[in-house]
Amino acid sequence: MECIYEIISGWAVAGYLPAIFEHTFMIRGLLAALIIGPLLGAMGTVVVTKKMSFFTQTIGNAAMSGVAIGLLFGEPIEGTYAGLYGFCLIVALLMTFVKNRSRLANDTIIGVVLAQVLGIGIILMIVVTSQFNIHQVEAILFGSLITLTDMDLITLAIASVVVGMIFICSFNRIMLGGFNPILAKSRGLNPVFLEYVFVMLMTIVVVASLKMIGSLLVLVLVVVPAAGAQNIVRNLRQFVWVSVLFSTVSTTVGLLLSGFLPVPSGAVIVLVSSILFYGSLLLKPVLGRAGVSQGEI
Amino acid sequence: MMTQQNKNSPAEANLLEIRDLSVTLGGNTILDQVNMEVKHGHIHALIGPNGAGKTTLIRSIMGGMPHKGTIRFLFSDTGRIGYVPQLLEFDHSVPITVFDFISLMLQRVPLFLSRRRNKRERIKKILGATHCQHLIDRLIGGLSGGEFRRVLLAQALSPAPELLLLDEPASNVDEHGARQFEKMIVQLKEDHGHSILMVGHDIQMMLRVADRVTAINRTVTFDGSPDELKDPGRIASLFGLNVSTDVR
Repeated sequence: MECIYEIISGWAVAGYLPAIFEHTFMIRGLLAALIIGPLLGAMGTVVVTKKMSFFTQTIGNAAMSGVAIGLLFGEPIEGTYAGLYGFCLIVALLMTFVKNRSRLANDTIIGVVLAQVLGIGIILMIVVTSQFNIHQVEAILFGSLITLTDMDLITLAIASVVVGMIFICSFNRIMLGGFNPILAKSRGLNPVFLEYVFVMLMTIVVVASLKMIGSLLVLVLVVVPAAGAQNIVRNLRQFVWVSVLFSTVSTTVGLLLSGFLPVPSGAVIVLVSSILFYGSLLLKPVLGRAGVSQGEI
Repeated sequence: MMTQQNKNSPAEANLLEIRDLSVTLGGNTILDQVNMEVKHGHIHALIGPNGAGKTTLIRSIMGGMPHKGTIRFLFSDTGRIGYVPQLLEFDHSVPITVFDFISLMLQRVPLFLSRRRNKRERIKKILGATHCQHLIDRLIGGLSGGEFRRVLLAQALSPAPELLLLDEPASNVDEHGARQFEKMIVQLKEDHGHSILMVGHDIQMMLRVADRVTAINRTVTFDGSPDELKDPGRIASLFGLNVSTDVR
């Protein structure tokens, strides 16, 4: 890792990058932004299509409980990986299981779990640390570049490569599986299995990006780039690529700005993402569709 | 239990046999001892009021519902079932074109990584089966009910199915669109010999096109010719419905 940091800080010293990238924590952030941005952008298109936005938020909220459980089992505060991934995956799988086995509407199930996991998390955090440390809670909720470690970056890179490969290989099937379970069956797919696969992929990516973006704001980065792309594209192919572009620009530019401003990185990333969204809204009359996709890309 | 056999397909031979099918969900009996057959080359209407178990029966036929009893397909060729859903569950503002929708079913390569130009003619040909190739670049969220049905029917016909399953084909379609769709279904049977199982509660439409009708309300309450149901009182007595069966 040191070697990579030296090369990038060398570019900053030479003036190819802003001087702020002489700092190791900013280089870590930049690498994380370049890894997570495209992946969140691409997966966001499926989240928006399948109307799973608040599912993503629930996973983000479950992170608070995950951190507390990790601490309870003796993990260090800067790396509660087992607690985080374990608890968030359990919550995601349980919600999907209940949705498939009950007659409750999806948003009802999410509504029940969404607030619970955040409340339980804060209580657990106070119980485990015997105090209410606002900085710990703030870092989880809004993200903090300072707390991003080499191990976080390596975990993020491995998770993103694995998730990215599975996502690319199964994109068509995941998309089709969400349209109608019987239609998917008639096409030789297993829609329930595909739903579990996507839920697990999404959970891993959301958890991996929490330190940078924060649990409260991760929803925005999953949904807003895809929503912005929707305003100006004419087909599914353009939808994915423009969403990837918006998300990557949001994470990198947001990170850069957060180096100059005394605010959490996640908040600035969200701000940039929102500016792109409103910009796309303004461009909609010019570039947007009118029910007909004109030509090809 | 679900079985599949290959047999020749003489006219009037059974294509699908359902024996003693029962489905229980959360302690509630949704289907109870359902027995029915669908014959080769027939349009078979499955009717019943809301909550009668029609969707559960379709899911069972498609292998997506745990059940007791036997569902036996007597296919003679590919054994493919083409399915036309009532609706698709997605955000209708999402930019998915008819081209994208059909492409998702045709290829493993992720849609966003493949070239569009190569597949265009193939997809136009698929859509041509229901005369809707002109819709290829339209967004599926922006189609009318009738246009949407034709696109869904086109995908169900490729590759050629041995059994075509239509779920509520007349829902969300205006009178003109429904009539056009009806003609298309009859044409599919007469010109191509397709076997069709239609599920719905639009009794008038069903009786106009069906060769045979099965009515269910948790269990089979009627099984016979559509002519036997032309008496309005008959359906009302079967389902407790106030319906008109003025078949035009």
